[in-house]
Amino acid sequence: MATHPGEHHHPTPLQYVKIAILLAVLTIIEVALFYVNEAADMGGWDAPLLIILALFKFVIVVGWYMHLRFEDSTLSKFFTAGFILALILYAIVLLAFGVIALGS
Amino acid sequence: MEAAAAMDHHDQHESTGIDHRKLGMWVFLSSEFLFFGALITNYLLYQGQPGFARPYPAEIYDIPFTSFSSFALLMSSLTMVLAHNALARHDQHATRTWLLATAMLGSVFLGGQVFEFTEFVTVGGMKLTTNPAASAFYLLTGFHGFHVLLGVLMLLTLYGISRRQGELSEASGLNLELVGLYWHFVDIIWIVIFTVVYLLAGVPAGVG
Repeated sequence: MATHPGEHHHPTPLQYVKIAILLAVLTIIEVALFYVNEAADMGGWDAPLLIILALFKFVIVVGWYMHLRFEDSTLSKFFTAGFILALILYAIVLLAFGVIALGS
Repeated sequence: MEAAAAMDHHDQHESTGIDHRKLGMWVFLSSEFLFFGALITNYLLYQGQPGFARPYPAEIYDIPFTSFSSFALLMSSLTMVLAHNALARHDQHATRTWLLATAMLGSVFLGGQVFEFTEFVTVGGMKLTTNPAASAFYLLTGFHGFHVLLGVLMLLTLYGISRRQGELSEASGLNLELVGLYWHFVDIIWIVIFTVVYLLAGVPAGVG
């Protein structure tokens, strides 16, 4: 089988399992935050915390399970460009329609 | 014949040094951000608009149930990467086992989505045309479910090829890697949907 750049750095099966446990724990924290906010209003802190946790999970899956951190940087550039383009485009749409607001 | 095969193999790498099928998959996945971004934005635009028939999606979510199906999809990324790892170690039996496990976990997620939609329509009374937020919700999660279904079919196809041939060839190995990339992408899109659409969902002021 052809080797890929940096393939020898890929995690071991045990490391993959540890990453999965981390992802599961992060998901549990997310759901717990949802219920904490339901029971006692967190004063708007739930949204940034949940988004940070989701972003963390996102980066872990892309970096380790999709092996992007071990791949050629060209792939990272293509992938990140699409993500950032979509993020900017739809942030502008949501700002324009008043769904999200800058500042208070 | 061998020279032609070698030339074909060489041609797959082009000037970037990256297999162009792999590069194509990454570019395709990158473009999918725009597709799902549009559907998520569409939902966010309508979820807070009052004045339409109820219920709104956020009024009838079953968070514990959706958390369970989200967990199944998240763990399917583990089994997928273990299948890829097993193939790299030339362990064909383990590769098949993990491929089948991934397809099964994907099927659990799909079954959960079918159950969720059925409950929403029959018990919750939220049909596709009840309000714009409901339409946007079904469109977004339905398209994601369709992506999962395609992934399950690709996984089962790889499993079938492996069973028939006794092993996955080098070419099929690349296919497994590409299917794996697609599968993980479907997972990360769900990570975003679960947080933005389910956990951060809102209802219009005065509703609920």
